[in-house]
Amino acid sequence: MSTGAQYVVAVYGVVLFGLLMYVLVLGLRTARLAREAELLARLAEREDEARRAPEPAATP
Amino acid sequence: MTDARPGRRLAATATATAALTALAVYGVFFVAPEDADQGIIQKIFYFHVAIAIGSLLAFLVACVYGIRYLRSRDERDDEVSSTAVGIGIGFAILVVITGSIWAKASWGTWWVWTDPRLVTFLIVLLLYAAYFVLRSSAEGERRMRYSAIYSIAAFASVPLSFYSVRVARSFVHPVVFTQNGANMPDSMLVWFAVSQLAVIGVFLTIMQVELLQRRADKALRRIKLRLEAAA
Amino acid sequence: MSAGDPSWPRQMRALLLKDLRLELRTRDTAVAMVLFVVLAMLIFQFAVGSRGTDLTPYAGGILWATLSLTAVLGVGRSWVPERDQRVLDGILSAPVSRLVLLTSKAATIYAYLLAVEIVAVPLMALFFVRGSVAGDLGLIAVTCLLANLGIAVLGSLYACLALFARARELLLPVLFLPSLLPVVIAAAGAVNAVAGGTNDLAEYRGYSLFLAVYAVIFGLVAYATYDHVFDD
Repeated sequence: MSTGAQYVVAVYGVVLFGLLMYVLVLGLRTARLAREAELLARLAEREDEARRAPEPAATP
Repeated sequence: MTDARPGRRLAATATATAALTALAVYGVFFVAPEDADQGIIQKIFYFHVAIAIGSLLAFLVACVYGIRYLRSRDERDDEVSSTAVGIGIGFAILVVITGSIWAKASWGTWWVWTDPRLVTFLIVLLLYAAYFVLRSSAEGERRMRYSAIYSIAAFASVPLSFYSVRVARSFVHPVVFTQNGANMPDSMLVWFAVSQLAVIGVFLTIMQVELLQRRADKALRRIKLRLEAAA
Repeated sequence: MSAGDPSWPRQMRALLLKDLRLELRTRDTAVAMVLFVVLAMLIFQFAVGSRGTDLTPYAGGILWATLSLTAVLGVGRSWVPERDQRVLDGILSAPVSRLVLLTSKAATIYAYLLAVEIVAVPLMALFFVRGSVAGDLGLIAVTCLLANLGIAVLGSLYACLALFARARELLLPVLFLPSLLPVVIAAAGAVNAVAGGTNDLAEYRGYSLFLAVYAVIFGLVAYATYDHVFDD
């Protein structure tokens, strides 16, 4: 490949790399969202259970 | 946003963009004629310039939505404005990097001060990096208001920067768009247009993805507040 | 209260005089700015010129490099009298138009810059220009007058944006300097065109026109957004 062509490939490679980096950022963000959603789901389920089960007597 | 329309819109935009990108790459490498003077290096041009214009488009959108925010004080306008700036900066970084590679290919050094576009985009990067510094220095309503004002002022600075570098009359850069129209043959011009559309498509796609992410984030936060209040 | 209010020239004068009187009494800002510009010039000399090279072609550039950095100081200081939030609230609740307030700040910055330039321009000629500059002083003065307009308008607007930030001294330069670069390019170019050895009047005119356009455009931006700068 001529040196000129190498530079052209480098440019398109950089652009592609940039896009892939963005995909990475998206992935990390989605992972965080999923984590938070999971935590909130568990919190909501725990609340539901606490409300359904009668409150244990504070003093025996 | 509890319906499927944003998702469907995103799918449409993304698919169109993917198709345009494939078409552009094919056209640039297999159909467009090679430039007589610069040879294959000129092919860098198609995406370098398209991304540059895409970056400016992003900053224009940011400016427009900044103005809209000042009128409406609607948080969603600020969201669009700041997202657009982020994408604009991402594109600007690509412009500077690809421009540097082009400089190396054309003139042998990794940086030149005589190319107005390269220098302008360096200034643009600094200009909009300051946007985020400003944003993090304020909170709440003030953050959105200051960001909107700065998005307008910064956008005014862009042509001023470009012309000041141009007026400093010492560039070697081959001018592609002259006052008499593009001095590129049509066979190249058409692929340039396709590349530009592809980049605009990328901009729109990323905008939609970002805005969707932010909404998801906000919705989760609302749930969190509710659950913590009920606890 | 609109700017068409008959008392607005009086308001302008009152605000301006207040700031200037405060400055004249203490003189700290003007003195500090002048010292700073001299020191900055020295830094340039030691960093770039100490090998005896002729810096004449760069004199205009050095002048405006140092002036732009000094301008950051001046802009940062222009709101000092009001920085205490209560004073600002007091002024805003008085029947003073916000436009008048901003304009008076811009005028204050303009005055500071002039004061510094009166010292800096002769110093530039003394330190960096080999040959006489006396004939060009008029042209250089016009460049200063034009460039100061853009700097003052820009500065008064951005100073407001940085006013309430915690890292105010860092935010202001970061905000201000990128937008100022076109002024540096054009003003340096203009001064270099007349004082830097070659006497290129066409170049000088081109740069000066640019400075005027810059001032107009940022004037428009500031006029369009000034009301939103202040908290409601």
